[in-house]
Amino acid sequence: MAGVGFRRWAQTLTKGRGVGISALLSGARAASGASKDSLPGPYPTTPAERAAAAKKYNLRVEDYEPYPDNGQGFGDYPKLPDRSQHERDPWYQWDHPDLRRNWGEPMHWNFDMYIRNRVDTSPTPVSWNSMCKQLFGFIGFMLFMFYIGEVFPAYQPVVSPAQERSDELFM
Amino acid sequence: MVTTTTRAVNAIFHQFSFARSVRHQINMADYKEAPLATRPRTLDPNDYFNLSQEKRRADEERAALRANLKRQYLTQLNNPSRTELIEDPALTRWVYARANPFPHFRPTFKTSLLGIVFGVVPLVTLYYIFKTDRDRKEAQIKAGTRDRKFNLAY
Repeated sequence: MAGVGFRRWAQTLTKGRGVGISALLSGARAASGASKDSLPGPYPTTPAERAAAAKKYNLRVEDYEPYPDNGQGFGDYPKLPDRSQHERDPWYQWDHPDLRRNWGEPMHWNFDMYIRNRVDTSPTPVSWNSMCKQLFGFIGFMLFMFYIGEVFPAYQPVVSPAQERSDELFM
Repeated sequence: MVTTTTRAVNAIFHQFSFARSVRHQINMADYKEAPLATRPRTLDPNDYFNLSQEKRRADEERAALRANLKRQYLTQLNNPSRTELIEDPALTRWVYARANPFPHFRPTFKTSLLGIVFGVVPLVTLYYIFKTDRDRKEAQIKAGTRDRKFNLAY
């Protein structure tokens, strides 16, 4: 942000006397990228608003589904399927290959959760029941064995009866 | 509707499984996806059996949107006189939407409940837990019953 401002300031100054300096002094600047109607807005109520919102987000009108209007602060942001970036084609030439995303594509509300370092919703090779049995079975078995180890400790230090008696005095 | 398609897929897969041994086989057609995970595309009946015109038209429209965005991006990317970064309006919209939920916020039962559960309850319960625990320890120290092993000064 500050970098852009400085560059523009430097460009205005170097444009020479007259037009450049007066533009800087008047405070006017060139219009920045996003105009007000390309930003997210309130929940769309009429079909015309829905069509406009779908066009804004680069979605088909049939595909555009806003989050339900329950006051949680989504506005007209589209509700995209909850799929992580792990599931996208690794061999397609994405514009941003590490994010597996193309330029201009609508981003999921939780996009930063679905990146490839984080949550993965791709199909599991093993079924849910099998995974649960393996995990809880292992944890349960280890807990049980540690409990047995507390009840029946092994490798107790071996001391002579004389040493045991003298230890007791200092206890 | 789902059972007929799974039976159809079962019939396709059955001819490969009858030659195997008698022990319990996991048939891929019986694959059940984990909660919140998705089904592999090769086991999705919608991909095999949905050949309707509507689906194809929808896919074509989506491809047209994608191609338009691709064209815009590549024009900017390969422009030799471009000196600045290519701004992504979808990214701008996402950041703006995530940073400005309050204009669309409305206090309802659900939002108030979430606010109380995540905002008020931890504060109050932790205060009470710490206060009572520390008061108990202080009372023990004053009564001389607490075993204080670690001295701050000798």
